[in-house]
Amino acid sequence: MMILSTPGSNSPWPTKTSGTGSPASSACGPSPRTACASCDPRPTPSRRSRLRLASPPIPPPDFLTPDEETRLVKFFTVELIRAAQFCEMPTEVRATAAIFLRRFYVTNSVMTYPATDLLKTSLFFGCKAEGYFYKLVQFSEKFPNTTGEQILAGEFLLCQGIRFAFDVRHPFRALEGAILELRRRLPDEDSRVRRAHGQAREILKFSPLVTDAYFHYTPSQIMMASLSIVDEGLVDILVPTPPQNGDQSKAKEHAEMRQKIMNTIADCRRMLEEEPPERMMDYWSSPEIVKAIKPLRKKLQKCRDPDRANLVNLQRARREQTVNKEKKAAKLDDTGVFGEELGREPKRAKLDKADDVFGPPL
Amino acid sequence: MALSPVVTHTAESVQQTQQLARAISSPLKNFTSGQTSSSNGTPKLLAAPLVPAPTTIPVTLDLAEQMNDEEKRKYVKGKKLGEGTYAIVFLGHLRSKPSTLVAIKKIKVQKENDQGMAPDAVRELKHLQELQHPNIISLLSVFSSKDQNLNLVLEYLPLGDLEMLIRDTDNVRYGAADIKTWMGMLTRAVWFCHENFVLHRDIKPNNLLIAADGEVKLADFGLARTFADPMTNMTSHVITRWYRPLELLFDAKHYSGAVDVWSVGTVFAELVMRAPYLPGNTDIDQVKLICEAIGTPTEDNWPGVTKLSGYAVPAQHPVRGKDWYEMRFGTVGSDGVDLLMKTLILDPRKRITAHQMLEHRWWHSDPKPTRKQDLPKKDGPSADDKMGADLKRRPGVLDDDRGSKVARKLDFGA
Repeated sequence: MMILSTPGSNSPWPTKTSGTGSPASSACGPSPRTACASCDPRPTPSRRSRLRLASPPIPPPDFLTPDEETRLVKFFTVELIRAAQFCEMPTEVRATAAIFLRRFYVTNSVMTYPATDLLKTSLFFGCKAEGYFYKLVQFSEKFPNTTGEQILAGEFLLCQGIRFAFDVRHPFRALEGAILELRRRLPDEDSRVRRAHGQAREILKFSPLVTDAYFHYTPSQIMMASLSIVDEGLVDILVPTPPQNGDQSKAKEHAEMRQKIMNTIADCRRMLEEEPPERMMDYWSSPEIVKAIKPLRKKLQKCRDPDRANLVNLQRARREQTVNKEKKAAKLDDTGVFGEELGREPKRAKLDKADDVFGPPL
Repeated sequence: MALSPVVTHTAESVQQTQQLARAISSPLKNFTSGQTSSSNGTPKLLAAPLVPAPTTIPVTLDLAEQMNDEEKRKYVKGKKLGEGTYAIVFLGHLRSKPSTLVAIKKIKVQKENDQGMAPDAVRELKHLQELQHPNIISLLSVFSSKDQNLNLVLEYLPLGDLEMLIRDTDNVRYGAADIKTWMGMLTRAVWFCHENFVLHRDIKPNNLLIAADGEVKLADFGLARTFADPMTNMTSHVITRWYRPLELLFDAKHYSGAVDVWSVGTVFAELVMRAPYLPGNTDIDQVKLICEAIGTPTEDNWPGVTKLSGYAVPAQHPVRGKDWYEMRFGTVGSDGVDLLMKTLILDPRKRITAHQMLEHRWWHSDPKPTRKQDLPKKDGPSADDKMGADLKRRPGVLDDDRGSKVARKLDFGA
């Protein structure tokens, strides 16, 4: 998963005002990840006093590393799949929702927008995008402590984050087609084809959704890769072999193309094999994985963007701002029609003001 | 996406496409990383050289918001072309090239709708994002303005729609060759949708808009959906009544591209007659009209029809023969009548497909289709308003002033 880092930030957001959850361990300046490793974790007395004078007393929190973020996105994708299973949603809906969530976190960080909320929004919107309309109330009732407002608060955010591209093509239909073809070609091997069908489908319902397969491969390639995991011989049957007799150069061309296709399928297969479907249960039952995720979620709690952690409040603030702006816009001309640049949220303005030399109020 | 065997790409249309390069396919395609000043994404506190943030982008916008703003800033919104319950349509132009006009369709936030983004908008975006064809309206961009209003930037089609030409019997004259050109463009559009597994489900003359060069473009994908998997139910409450086939009136839950082909057939008949062919006042009336004009469906001509849950027929009428059609639609020639009859076959399984339509001999028989620059057109301000009126409408309903006051209520929950 590619997580975008944005260089050149001149105003790193975590200017937290309250002292809650600011780990003391990263007290050595503005770049905890790089500097801490090379310097003494406890500053010398002289440095300590200098620091106290020169910088705000609250150090930036200990941010997640890109690798940790990737692991968390994967974890939340599994949570989404689990929720979809619980709600008994169709396979396509759950796959679409999972891909929406992952696409969203290509350009956003789990530290900025809470994935626990967005996964529910992704599911709700995934239903819509697949033409499977759920009443909001019915939907929110399925989750503990969840209101319809919470689910809708992130809807527009999600849509904008995936640039309004709502069509996700899945490998499931490709598999059905391949199975029909295999039944025709192998009339005497019904049990073999049937077994491959079931197993490949289980793979497709999990592995491509928690890896980057959808970002790199086409639905048919993903389908072929899943088949090759369960029964490689079947892929060999499906991908046409070069004609035995005929034009030499054409045959060579064909052979090269076939090799290229097989290589791509093999690459995709390696990616899928990182997350076999058996791992799905592990994500919430294997003690090691649960244990490994726990500290990450704790760390995430401490480095979240305070302005964007509560989507409902964010949404309300935006609505208010829009209403205010509409009042002002009455006298604006051409530029007003388009709306101005989105202003800064009131809350942040307050935060920035607090970030002065004397530090925040006690 | 498949290429049409019959589509002609003119030099100017290619040029235009290049000018209006679509900027929505990839979230990062048009994003210049140099302007990144967001503090969002993975916070990175390395000693990177500070790029002075352009003052136009506030630092608190996240990456998606910045991309949205960049998209928004490419266009200038102009005068209002029309307003309806569902959307407001504005004329607009490219900021960098004011001569390039666009239509901006702003989806209204539904006050009473507490279900979030409207299903029509979701469907329209989902399909228009993916379909690119000379006979399908292009979606150039999407952005949100004033917080959460959805704006669809569509290509500007200034010459109104086919309905306008059909109705204006005083000023607009056209013949068999013109009908052939229009039908060709419509059939290619429908073929392309079906080739890409999309059912349009609302084909009618006022969803067929006309570009400045005379090209007809299929618009309004608010009722579109992808082909369903076998066994999956679909709602039968689609397609504006006059253009709706019997299988939908009989409440079939499984149907195919044949429903669109029927609509194409009724549009074809309307082009010839210059009046709606089957203007039913109610759904029951619609069934009656179809039975009278085309024939009553029976187990003989449509095996299984009596098993459909909504099956009810008023009386037994024989299926009309070719001579009956020749009398009414003879102006398009014997081949034209043959094609029309095949689009209006009662049994959807026997009805011609869009692909087979393109292979029909009518396209080759005399008269040759009119070149698109020579097509009759209607100029002037009324055409402008027409695009506004067409885009703002809720999908699936008839305009109030078009005879039927009983606009179909759509069940979006199904």
